Order: sequence, then structure tokens, then C-alpha cells
Amino acid sequence: MFRAAPHRRITLRRVLLYLALVACAAVMLFPFLWTVVTSITPEGTLANGPTLLVKDPTLNAYRTLFATLPMWRIVVNSFAIAVASVALQLVTGAMAGYAFARLSFRGRSVVFGAYLATLMVPLQVLVVPLFIEMKLLSLQDTYFSLLAPSMASALGVFLLKQAIEAVPRELDEAAVIDGASHLRIFAKVIVPLIKPSLATVAILAFMASWNSFLWPLVVIRSPELMTLPLGLSALHGQYTTAWDVVMAGSVVSIVPIAVVFVLAQRHIVAGLAHTGIK
Amino acid sequence: MKRTRTTLAVAAISGLALLLGACAQGSASRSGTSSQSSPAGDTSSSSSQSSSGSSSESSPAESSGSNAPADAVTGDVTYMEFSANGGHEADLKKIVDAFEAANPGIKVTVETLPYADYFTKLQTAIAGGTAADAFELDYQHFVSYSASGALAPLANVDPSPYKKSLIDGFNMGGKQFALPESFSDVVLFYNKDLFDKAGVAPPNANWTWADENAAAKKLTDKAKGIWGDYQPISYNEFYKVLAQNGGQFFNAAKTAATFASPQGIAAAHQLIDRSGTVMPTAADGAGTPDFDTNLFKSGKLAMWHTGIWMFAALANVPFNWDIVVEPGNTNKASAMFANSVAVSATSKNAAAAQKWLEFLTSSDAMVSARLASGWELPPISDATKLGAYLDQPKPANRKAVFDALDNAVLPPTIERQQEMQDAIDNALTGAAAGHTKIEDSLPAAEKMVTSLLGG
Amino acid sequence: MTPTPASFAAARSADANDVIAVSGQGDSAQRDRHSGPEDTDRRSRGARRMRPGRRGSGWRNAGWVLVFLLPSAVPLLLFTVIPMLASIWVSLTKWNLISAPTFVAFANYRRLLTDPATLDYFLHTGAYIVGYLPLVYIGGLSLAYVLDKKLVARSFFRAAVFLPVITSWVVVALVWQWLLNPAHGVVNTVLGALGLGQPGWWTDPDWAMPSIILASAWKDLGFVMVIMLAGLQSIPGDVQEAATVDGATGWQRFRRVTWPMLSPSTFFVVVISLINGLQVFDQVFVMTGGGPQGATQVVVGQIYNLTFRYGRAGDAAALSWILFVVILAITAGQLAGQRRWVTHA
Repeated sequence: MFRAAPHRRITLRRVLLYLALVACAAVMLFPFLWTVVTSITPEGTLANGPTLLVKDPTLNAYRTLFATLPMWRIVVNSFAIAVASVALQLVTGAMAGYAFARLSFRGRSVVFGAYLATLMVPLQVLVVPLFIEMKLLSLQDTYFSLLAPSMASALGVFLLKQAIEAVPRELDEAAVIDGASHLRIFAKVIVPLIKPSLATVAILAFMASWNSFLWPLVVIRSPELMTLPLGLSALHGQYTTAWDVVMAGSVVSIVPIAVVFVLAQRHIVAGLAHTGIK
Repeated sequence: MKRTRTTLAVAAISGLALLLGACAQGSASRSGTSSQSSPAGDTSSSSSQSSSGSSSESSPAESSGSNAPADAVTGDVTYMEFSANGGHEADLKKIVDAFEAANPGIKVTVETLPYADYFTKLQTAIAGGTAADAFELDYQHFVSYSASGALAPLANVDPSPYKKSLIDGFNMGGKQFALPESFSDVVLFYNKDLFDKAGVAPPNANWTWADENAAAKKLTDKAKGIWGDYQPISYNEFYKVLAQNGGQFFNAAKTAATFASPQGIAAAHQLIDRSGTVMPTAADGAGTPDFDTNLFKSGKLAMWHTGIWMFAALANVPFNWDIVVEPGNTNKASAMFANSVAVSATSKNAAAAQKWLEFLTSSDAMVSARLASGWELPPISDATKLGAYLDQPKPANRKAVFDALDNAVLPPTIERQQEMQDAIDNALTGAAAGHTKIEDSLPAAEKMVTSLLGG
Repeated sequence: MTPTPASFAAARSADANDVIAVSGQGDSAQRDRHSGPEDTDRRSRGARRMRPGRRGSGWRNAGWVLVFLLPSAVPLLLFTVIPMLASIWVSLTKWNLISAPTFVAFANYRRLLTDPATLDYFLHTGAYIVGYLPLVYIGGLSLAYVLDKKLVARSFFRAAVFLPVITSWVVVALVWQWLLNPAHGVVNTVLGALGLGQPGWWTDPDWAMPSIILASAWKDLGFVMVIMLAGLQSIPGDVQEAATVDGATGWQRFRRVTWPMLSPSTFFVVVISLINGLQVFDQVFVMTGGGPQGATQVVVGQIYNLTFRYGRAGDAAALSWILFVVILAITAGQLAGQRRWVTHA
């Protein structure tokens, strides 16, 4: 019903559209391709700048990478912490969002303001006091310490509060009449209806954890707790860097999430979009 | 409603209590933690420090392996460092193994970090009172750490194994705060093939700036993408060209910076005037990671001012290259960089840590591990042990590495080192790119550095 | 135990008809406009409907508030608020992290507020946001609009656009430094071929910030696209149809119907871009390190330098709290503007 224009014009426009899209995809994919290509280029040819034609492709960089660093352990660590952080932020964020959107209590706006205030001081300045605190609690150099600052996020609370406010109250009321408690309303009515926002918070939390560098650098001492950004950073020497190995490390860090995204992107977008059009 | 308020108040109060705890820790961390190592808790008192060293020496309570003779130092030592990162981890492991074999009562745990992240981690660890027993410091950072009381003075150090200029460099007010661990210097690398092709005589130890500049002009062939010369435009080069031109960085009392003198301006010109004519500019990519290394390796750079740490990276290049002591102007001067190792002021195991550091900096195991892998140079005084280094094939003129030491200058250091370096880097690069005039920016940087001396 | 058919039916109907966008506050915003201040509205509604007689006491409610808030409040209090409060104290000291701090009262604030460089850091940060936000928003919206249509290989295109989002900044910085290399980068080669000027990009103080903005927008495009895509898909089809029947052209339909209905998503993108933009750091750190000659030094970049490179943790904490006040003011303005601005046509 959108196609009011003649069929032929649409086709021409489509061709142009595809050309534009392919160009755009090339621009977006190029750096990734370059990363892959550099990672399989023998060390000697790196000096001549990036080429997209590799003469003698080799997997040596990957061998070096896995020999230098406990890569499997590192990937598993990063993944476990990211997943735990996502799960915790979803639970804590949705619950707090429910409290702010649905429960009325004295000082609600003050408390909500305090939540938002936690977003307004940069991590760079919190790292040192937080580290001292972790030391006092004897929690430094543990999985818990890696997770601690990202167990709850005020941004997630904010987003989920907004989403819950958009859910018609009539739905809660129907449940209340049925005798449901707040917990039940939250779990059975609200959560299913805010999946799109939960997906957004999940993506944000995952990316933040996956790329987090400064805090793990400071708080982790044991090699067994190392995460990907720390591992990748350790590949840079003081004077020279083996770029093929660094790029191999980047590929290893990108591919798992890329695969997840490709497999899940329909669900992510659909989940985000909810079910607007039937 | 009332209950809600009460609960919130309770939460707020408990939060505040925790905060005060954290703050108190912040302020007390130094005295609190240092009292663990010295009963007096005063890091500035050398007597209490050395007594702390000997007290843990005589207290076997902390020892883990007790097969060692009764008077032996024992314990676990943690050691944090950066210089083994990126290729020398196995060489360091060899030294550790040799040490542990010789000292069965001491176990060394190494934590290696990349240089770029190292000081972020070290500072936070010291602030939190979790610093390793022993850690590595480069010469530029040594002053601020020793002046801040983060380092334990070392007791009864025998200076004889070390090159005198090096061990003296880590002595402050008569106290030895660190041991020299390794050093390296900067020489002029050159691509022999490019010189031959251009019909220019290769550099020798008697060259001056004028010789270098003239050769660079002849060697530059922009059409072919070949540059005559490359010298980074930065603090680490500037302090040296300043010395080559007879300038002084500070006045004698070190109360004011004096590097914007006429000699200093001329030295800065020597650095920046080549940029764009015989030397690639920032716009050409200079300053990006490994730019100069790649340029030289691909045979497109005739002369290159860089450190001897590059030998390994050039092992397989398909052209002839060699090194020579850097050209001077009115004076000869070569840049020297040194790494040192120190014991943390808060170490509970200072004696064992010092024993490890002495081994790490003076043992034969260290000398052979470093020489075999070209891992900078051992800081030792006995030149005969360095023979193995000279015997290696490339570059042919390895002797220049030691010749350069005759006129070595260490970088000027102050407590607020990084701010000083950034100020000078900005003055130089801004002028090199034509955004400012060096006659304006260098005196401004000089003024700023003088203000930094105040603390 | 299980929801009654009634609640299910209600849920399903909401499913089908309600616009629940990513930051889908449209409904509440609209309600606010029609029925007065938010709090009165909600409280009266809550009093009337949420708490039927059998558990209307405040005591009960306080219990629920704790149950729902504590899981987030405890970690935030312990691991964010306490370090924040500690940093207030740090901001009143002179501290290089490696020796004991000394109390200096407000000297750090005084020094920062009288140093003209401080304003520069804020201006650079502002310039970043002003350049970045329109670029990433228009780009992301256009891509979402196109990739919402039925296209061959649509999933591939979406994934391609999303790939930079998950690529680390270290790699992205390398790539863009190379693309924007003034002498032989791809961008300048193309510009030269077109007879246009060839800027010095990240090596030129005037062009360094635009270089960072370009790379950042490129990297975040996929994220904005996903958000806008979700917004687009939650617009009911019949609204579009009605507009088409009324004879609106494609552009008119977009301008008058689609775009206003995307305002919740737009609001979300603006909020998140401002929060991230005011604390921009990673891309500056890896691309220019604040240079050349400090031309791209942003507030958080300077905070990092002060803490970890210059040994001036007290100044860093003070600068953070100056930044805090600025963000607070902007956020307050934003939340006030939200009600007027976000529509639900």
C-alpha cells in the first residue's frame, strides 16, 4: 500500500539504494577486513601499510597470540563478567525502575535524583577511591571486584523507569484486582512489556563490560582474572608492537560478539521494536 | 511513610560511615601501611627504614621455605615490572629461576605490565597500600617516587658491581633508593645501501649537525618517498640536542629552567627545521605507532635517531645498515636511558626483596640473559663481561654503543616530570607544524617548567 | 498463581496497540501534559487505583520500596556513591597518590576556575557534542529508515553497520588515523581527486576534533540505527496508512507522522549522547591524546592526565566536581525540556 509510484521508478530507485547500501557496508566493514587481513599477513610485509591482497597468508599471529596469552581463559573471563553484569543490571534496573515508576513514596524524586547523580562523575576519578575501598574490604583481585562497579547502572534504571511509565496502568490494576502482589505484577505484567528496553540496557551493559579497561587494570593482579582489553593492551611493547598479533587479538575479541549479533540481530531489533505492527 | 524515611536515613548514615572509613584510609594509608614495615612509621627517617630492613631480615616468622641456612633471608617477594613485556618475559623468567635456585628460601612472583599502563597501576597500588615488594622505575619517574617516600632506602648496598654513573643516578641525599637495572643509549642508525646509491659518504663519529643536515638533503628523494633523516620532535631528543649545543637545561641551583637560551633555541631549530624538508612531518604520519620503525624497515629512511633497543626489530631487514655515535654540534652528547628497581616503602619483606633486586641487577645470570637476547645493557662496571655483546654480528659497529657512553646525558628529572615533558613536547611540535614560533613557545615552556619546580 | 485471563487479555491488547518504544515514555509525557504535574498525577492515580483498601498502608508500601530499590541502591551506594563522596574529600587535598595527601581546602577549585585552560577543556567537549550528535543522529536515522524496508540481505547490512560498535577503540583509532592520513590517506586522496582542499586532519589543531567526531560517529552509527529501527517498527501501520490515504508524499509522511512518533527514540539518543559526550575520553585518548597542542583535550581527558600522569589527584577530583555541576545543570534542563519536547502524535 506504500507503492503508489510506478513500478519501474521503484526499481531504479532500488538499484541506487542498493549501490548506496553496498558502499556504506563497505565503509563499515573495511576496518574489520583490514584487521583480519593484517592478522594473517606475515610480519615483514606489515611495514608497507595495509594491503588487501595478502601474498603469503599465515596463522602465525594467532599461534603467537595463544602462546603469549591464556586467550581461552581471557575470553571466558570477559564473557562471564559481561553476562553477569548484564543479568545484574537487568534485574536491579528493572526493579528500581518499577519502584520509581509505580510506587509512590516520600522523597522519590530526591532518591531518583541521587541515582542520576551517580552518572555525572567520571569513572576516571572514582577508580582510586574505589580501589582503596576494595582493599579495605579485602576484595581486590577477585571476580567480584571486577563486577562491583557494574552491578547496577543508573542509566539502566532511568531507561527502564521510562519504559515502565509507558505501560498503561490499567494492566497493573487488572492484576491488582486479581490479588497480585507488586512482585507478581512486576514479573508477570511489567517485565514482558518492557522487553525492548531490557534489550537496550543489555546491549549497553554488555558493551560497557566487554570494553572496560581502566578498572580491571587497577583492580586485577592475577593473570587468571585477566580480561580481553587488558590482554590486548599487554600485546603492545614499549618500543615496538607486533601489529599482526594485536590485530589477531582484535579479531578474537570481535568475532564472538559479531556472531552473537548476526544470529540475534533479528531478535534484538524485533525485541527492541516490540510488536508494533501485526 | 515514616518508616521509609527512617530506612533511608539509616542507609544514608551507614553509607556515610563507610565513606568516612574510606577517607580515613585515604589519609592514613601512608602512615598506616608504612608502620607495617617500620615501627616508627616515618618514611623520611632512614634509620627506621634500615632497621625495618634488618628487622625482617632477622624475623624468620614470615619465611615460607625454611630449608635455607639460619642466617639466610627468606620469604615471598612480589615484583612488578614493565621492561620484560613484549618479548623478554622468558629472559626474566631465566633470571628468576637462577635466583630461586641460589636462594631456596625466597620465592619471586613477577607481575608484568605494558609500559603504557604500568604507572597507572603502580600509583593506584601505592595509594591503596597494595604495592608489590619490589618494582621497576624508569629514570624519569625515579625522582618523583623517591621524593614522595614511596621507596625504601636500601641498606648496605655494595656499589662496586655497578657502573658508577648509573648507581650514583639513583642516590638521593646520600641514600641509595634504587639499583640500576639496565640502560640503553641512542645512536644514529643509517641505511648503508641508500648512502651508497646516493654517493654520499656514510656517517662517522666525527660528524656534526652540519654534516648530518647536508647528507640528509642529498639523500632525500621525495619522488621515491625516501627521507634523509628522522629524529623525533620531543623532550627526549631536545634535552640531548641542547647538551650537544652547549646549553643548560636548568640553572646550577636547579631553581629555574634555562633551556630557552640562544643555545636552546638553536637546538630546537635543529630539531624542527628539518621537518618537512628532509624529515617526514606529523602530517606524513610521523608520531603514529611504529611509523619510524616501519619507514626504516621498508628501506625509505636513510638516517634514524633511535635507541639500541631497535637492534632486534631490524634483524631481518633486506639491506645493509649500521650505527654510529650521534653527531654533535659544539659538544658531543648521547642520550642515555636507564631503568632501575626499588623496594617499596611498605614492603614487609624488604630484605628478601633487596636480595632479589641485587641479583636481578648484578648477577652473571642476568648478564648472560640480557646479552643473549639484546635486552638493553647490564648496568655492571666489569666491561670484560660485556664482550659477548660486541661479538654479535649486526650491526658491525657495536662499539658505538659503548663509545656513546663517554658523553652520555641522562634526561633532566623533576618531581612533576610528565607535566614538564608535555610542555616541552607541545612547544616543539607546535613550532614544527608552524602553528607557533619556537622563539615564542620555548620561552613560554621555560617559564612553565620553572613554575613546576616550585612543586 | 498464573495471571487471570483478564490480565492476559489486557496485556495482549497493549501488545498490539500500544507504542512501546525504547525509551517509550510518550504515553506518560502525554498524560502529564493533559493532567498536570507528574507527581500529583501519579500519586492520585496510585492512591486511587494502585493500592486498593486491603493494603493501603504506608508501612506496606515502604517495604515494597525497599524490596525494589535495595538491589540497585546497595551496589550503587557501595561502589559508586562512596567513592564519589570520597572524591569530594580528595578534591580538597593535594595528593599525588604516592605520598600522603595534604588538606588545601578550596585551593584546587580556585586554581581550576581561574585557569583559562579549564574553559578550553569544556569548550572542546562541547564542540565534540555539537559535531557528533547531529552526525550520528541523522546518519543512524537514515540507515534505520532504509533498513526498515524489505530488502535483500537486510540482515547483512544491519550487521555490517553494527560491526564498528563492537570493535575496540584501539583498532578503530588506528584505522581512522590511516584513513585520515593527511599525506596519503584514502580520504585526502579522494578529496584531492575531486579538486577539494586536503586538511591536515588529526595533525592539525583545527581539524583534529572533526577527525575524532567523524570516527566516533562512524563507530556509533550502528547503535543509533538499532535504536531508531526499533522506534520505527513500533509505529503502528495504520497511522502510516491514514497519512497515505490523506495524500501525503513520502517526505511529508516522514516529516509530519513518522519523525514526531520517533521522538521517544530521539530523546533517548540525545540523552545517551549527552551523558557519553560530556564524559568523552576513549576516542580522544587513543586518537590524539588530547593534541595537537592540546586542541582536543577534553574534560575527562584532563581528569585522567591529572590523576595518572601529573600526580595531581586533588585537581582531578575538583575538576570532576566542576564537571558534575555542569552535567547536573544540563540534565535538569533536559528533563524539563523533555515534557514539552517529546510528543506522541
